[in-house]
Amino acid sequence: MSMKKLNENNFLVEKIKALRSKAIKKKPQFEDEQLDKPVSFWIKEDRLLKEKGKEFTVILRTKGCSWALGETGGCSMCGYIQDSTIEEIDHIHIINQFNYALEKKIKEISADKDDFVLKIFNSGSFFDDDEISADVREHIYNRIAEVPKIKEIVVESRVDYITREKLKIMKNILKNKYIEVAIGLETTNDYIRNTYINKGLKFEDFLNAVQISKDNNIGVRVYLLFKPPFLNEQTAIDDCASSIQKLAELKVNTISINPLNIQKNSLVEYLWYQNRYRPPWFYSLFKCIIKACKDNSILDSVRIISSPSGAGTKRGIHNCLKRDCNEFMINSLKEFVITQNITCLIKKDDSYSCDCLIKYQLQKNFI
Amino acid sequence: MNYFFELITKGIGFSRVGRIICSKESKRFISTPNILVPMKKSLMNHISFLEEFEDHEVFLILKEFYLKIGFLREKFKHTGFIYKHNGSMEKFKEILANNIDIFSEDNIIPLIPFNIPTTTINKEFAKNEIINFISDANQILNQYQNLDFGLSIKIFEHPELFDLYLPLIKDNSNVRIINLVDLFDVFSKYRNILKVVFQIKQELDNNLVLMASGRIIPKLYPILVYLGIDLIDCSYLLYLSSENFYDTIEHLLPIYKLKYLPCPCPICKRKLKYIREDKYSSDKIEQLTLHNIISAYTYMNKIKLYLRMEDFRGFVEKSSFDDMNIISMLKVLDKQYFNAMKLETPITQANRLINCFGPSSYYRPDFQEFRERLLKSFTPESWTKLIIILPCSAKKPYSESKSHRKFHSIIRKFRDFPDFQEIILTSPLGSIPRQLENIYPVNSYDISVTGDWDNEEITIASNMLIKLLEKYDKDIPIICHLKEPGYLKIIDNARLKLKNKFHFTEVKSNLTTIESLKSLENSIRDLKDSFKPLEPLPKIKNFSKSWTRKINKILDYQFGTRAGEKICSNGIRTRKNDRRHQIEIIDLTNNENLGKFYFNTGQIELNLSGANRLLPLNENTNYMVFDGQLIKGNTLFRPGIINYSPNLFPKDFTLIFDKDKKNLIGLGKLEVGSNYIKNSKTGKIANVYEKIK
Repeated sequence: MSMKKLNENNFLVEKIKALRSKAIKKKPQFEDEQLDKPVSFWIKEDRLLKEKGKEFTVILRTKGCSWALGETGGCSMCGYIQDSTIEEIDHIHIINQFNYALEKKIKEISADKDDFVLKIFNSGSFFDDDEISADVREHIYNRIAEVPKIKEIVVESRVDYITREKLKIMKNILKNKYIEVAIGLETTNDYIRNTYINKGLKFEDFLNAVQISKDNNIGVRVYLLFKPPFLNEQTAIDDCASSIQKLAELKVNTISINPLNIQKNSLVEYLWYQNRYRPPWFYSLFKCIIKACKDNSILDSVRIISSPSGAGTKRGIHNCLKRDCNEFMINSLKEFVITQNITCLIKKDDSYSCDCLIKYQLQKNFI
Repeated sequence: MNYFFELITKGIGFSRVGRIICSKESKRFISTPNILVPMKKSLMNHISFLEEFEDHEVFLILKEFYLKIGFLREKFKHTGFIYKHNGSMEKFKEILANNIDIFSEDNIIPLIPFNIPTTTINKEFAKNEIINFISDANQILNQYQNLDFGLSIKIFEHPELFDLYLPLIKDNSNVRIINLVDLFDVFSKYRNILKVVFQIKQELDNNLVLMASGRIIPKLYPILVYLGIDLIDCSYLLYLSSENFYDTIEHLLPIYKLKYLPCPCPICKRKLKYIREDKYSSDKIEQLTLHNIISAYTYMNKIKLYLRMEDFRGFVEKSSFDDMNIISMLKVLDKQYFNAMKLETPITQANRLINCFGPSSYYRPDFQEFRERLLKSFTPESWTKLIIILPCSAKKPYSESKSHRKFHSIIRKFRDFPDFQEIILTSPLGSIPRQLENIYPVNSYDISVTGDWDNEEITIASNMLIKLLEKYDKDIPIICHLKEPGYLKIIDNARLKLKNKFHFTEVKSNLTTIESLKSLENSIRDLKDSFKPLEPLPKIKNFSKSWTRKINKILDYQFGTRAGEKICSNGIRTRKNDRRHQIEIIDLTNNENLGKFYFNTGQIELNLSGANRLLPLNENTNYMVFDGQLIKGNTLFRPGIINYSPNLFPKDFTLIFDKDKKNLIGLGKLEVGSNYIKNSKTGKIANVYEKIK
C-alpha cells in the first residue's frame, strides 16, 4: 500500500507520534473480566435509510487501529487509541464483548416497535485481521442474522482492508440486511486529508473501495470531519460543503458529518491547549449543511446524519458555553437528522436567538 | 492596466502619500495610506455606519453576495473595493471564475487568500505550506493575466521563508498588492518584521501597494505607515469588539472598566452611553464595533493629515510611547537600518517645526544624515585664525536670537571678524558651523532645554565637535563662551582628544551680561592675532559678507566638497528678496544669476548657469542620465532615466544629463531616492524646474 509514500512530506508525523506515545506507552492493564465487556454500548433514536428508527451501538475493545500504532503516527485528531489494549488480545474476548452487549439489549430490541441499525465500532478497522479476525467477524455476522429487528448494519474500516472477499462473506450471511461500510474519508480534498489530518488515504483508493462495495451491493457511509486542524471556520464550511456535493455526485448512501472534538493526546489537543485551535461553532455546521443541500435533491438520494461527540462542551462543537443555546442547537440538529428536513436548521426570527450569534459573525474571520 | 499605484509624495522613512488608480476614465482613486473598512451586514444596518463612511474610499468585501453588480454600482459609485475570501482556495477559484466580469470591469481587486493553515508546527511544515500556496497562486495569476491581484503572504514567524515568495512576485506583473497577513501579529518580534519590510523595499518593485492585515490595533498605525504600509485592514477590531474591548488608541480596555466614554463619536454620545453596562447584549457589541471602527478611521485621518502637514516622524515617536515594542523598533530602525533608511528620507522639510522629544529623536534618519553630511562636506575656510564656540538659542536661525545678536555685537566690532569661525553647540544636532545655521534641520528644530544634558546628547555633540575641530590647524586658538555644565562637559571631552588650546571667557551671571560680553571681547582681542593662517581672506571676493560665506558652505553641503569654490570662483553677491523669502545669488564679475537660496527649505536651487560650473562632477554630486537630448514637460518619469548616482535623496537637487552624459540638459528636484529608482519601472522621479529648450 502506498501509505508510506503519502507521508513523505508529512512534517506532522513526528509531533503526532510524540503526543500519541504517551497513550501507547501506558499499555493499560485490563482484567479478564474487563476484556470480556465492550468499551460501551447503547440504544438511542436514529435515522434509518428512509425512516425514523433506533440505533444499537457497540464499541469493541480491540488491539487498536493499525494506522495509529504504526510508523506513520496515525490521524492528527484521533484519541481513540486510549480505549484499546495495544497488546494483542485473545479473540475470544472480542466475541465475548459482542455477546455481552447483545444479550443485555436483545429484550429491549425485540420489544421495540422501531427497526434498528446496528453499529459496530472498534475504533479501528472492522476488516483488519489484526484487530478482528475472520472467525470473530463470522461469529458476529451469525449472531446478527438471528435478530430480525436489526435491519441495517454499519461497520467501519480503512479502505486498505476492504476486499471483495471479505465483503462477499459478510453479504452472504447477512443477505437480507442493509449493510454500510463506513470509511473515514474526512474530506474529498487530498491535501487537507493527508497533510493536516495525516490520514494516509488517496481519493482514488477511496473510489476503488466505493466501487467494490457497490459491486457487492453494500452501501457506503462516508465520515466527513468538520473543521480539521489548521483550518479556520470559513474554510471548514467551504471544504465540507464541497465534500458533501462531490460525494452526492458519487451517489454514496450516507454522509456522516463529525464535527471535530478534542481528544486526549491528539495533535489537535496540543494546538487547542495553546489557543491555536477552536472547535467549530454550530452556526458554521448549519451554514455548511444548508449550503450543500441548497437544492434539496441531495437529501432525496443521500442520507446526511451528524451526532457530534462532546457537543455543547469546550472540547466539542459549541457556540457560546450557555446550556440553552447549545441545547437548542443540538436539538435542531437531531431533528434534522431524524427528519432529513433542512428547515430545522434554518433559524426563524421568532425562535430562539442567542447573543453569541453576533460574536460568531465578528470573530469568524479570525478563528 | 498599466500602472496601478502612483506615488505622490515621499515622506520620512518608508511613509508615502500615494493613490491607487481604480479607474482612470471615471477618475476613481483610492488615496493611500488608508484604512480598509469591512462590509459587514451587522454594520451596514446602522445609519451611523452609512453616515460616517459614505465618503470612504475603500472597503473590504468578505462575501460573494456583495459582488453582485447592481448593488455596488448603485450605492458606491466612487469607491474602490478589495475582495477578501476567508475560506478555501478552491472556493475562491470558483468565485473568481463565476464573477470574472465584475472583477474585470468594476475594479474590485481580488486578494489571493492564504487562509490555511492557520498555524504551523515547525519551519519545515511552514515551508512546505508556502511552496504549496505559491504553486496555487501562480496558477491563478497565469490564468488571469489581465486581472490585477493582491497576494496574501504568510511567513509563520520565519522571516527567512519570505524568500520563497520573491520569484512569484517578480515573475507576475499582475501582482499589485502585497497583503502581509501574519507579519505584524507578534509585534514583539520586531526584528523579523524589519527584515521582511526591508527585503520588500530593496528587492521588489516599490510601486507595489503594501497592505497589512491580521492582529493589528490602531496604536500601531503610525509605525506601520512609517514602514511603508499603504492599506491597513481593520478587521481585527471586529474580533476585539466581540470580546467587549473598547479602543481608545492608547489603550484597549474592556468596556466594563470604563466609567466614562472618552470619545465624541456619534456612537459613544448616543446609544453606547446607555447600554454600556448591559452584560450580554448583541446591541452593545454592535455599537462597540461601530465605535472601534470609527475610532480607527479617525486616527487614520489624523495620520494622513500629519503626513501632509506636520513632521510625521515626530508623530510616530509620540505614538511609540503607547507600546514598548514600537520604541524598540524605532531604535533598531535608526541604528541598524540607517544606511538603507537615509535614501528614503527627504533631505529637507519646509515650514515645519521639528520637535525633538528625547532619546527617540537623536538618531532619526534626517538628523543622522545631517550630521554625517556636514562632517563629510564641510572644509575650513583657509583664512580662519580663531574659533569661537557658542551655545545654541531657542530662536532659529541662531543669528536672529537676542543672545546671538549680543554676541555678534561684540564679534563684529573687530574688522577681521570674517577670519573667525563660529561653531554653535546644540542637542541633538551636534556642532554647527555658523555658515550652516539656515539649513534643515538647524533652521526648524526645537528641543526641551533645562540645562541638563544626558550622556547621549553630550556624546553626539562631543564627537561632532572633535571631528570638526580636527579639520583645523591645532594651533588655532579656541574661545569658549559657554556656561552650562552640559556644554562644558562637551569641551572637556574635546580637550581630551585634541591638542588645541581652549580658552574660556569669564561668565558673570549669564552669557549676555555686560561683564560676560566684555570678557568675550577681551579674549578675542587677546587671541585673534596669535595664529597666522596660510592664506589671508581673499580681498576682492566679497567674503566679508556673511551670506557669501554661508552660500559657499551650503553649496558644499548640497553638492559636495569644493562645489562652493567652483560655483563662486568669481566671487558672488547676494540680494535678499524679503517678500519671496529668498536670497538671489549673483556672480560678482559678470552679474550672472546663479541660483536662489530658499529660507523655507534651507536649500539652494541652482539654475543652469550655476550648475554648469559644477562640471566636471566630483564623486559626491547627484546626477541622472536622461534617455534623450531634450526633456519634454516638467516631470521626469522613471522610464526616462537610464543611469543615476547611487546616493540620491528625496527633496535633494539633481543634475540631469543627456543620453551620452556629456551635456547638462536640466535640473530637477527629486521626489524619491535612489532605492526607489532602482526598484521601480514607473512613477514620478523628479520635478524638472529648469531645462534647456
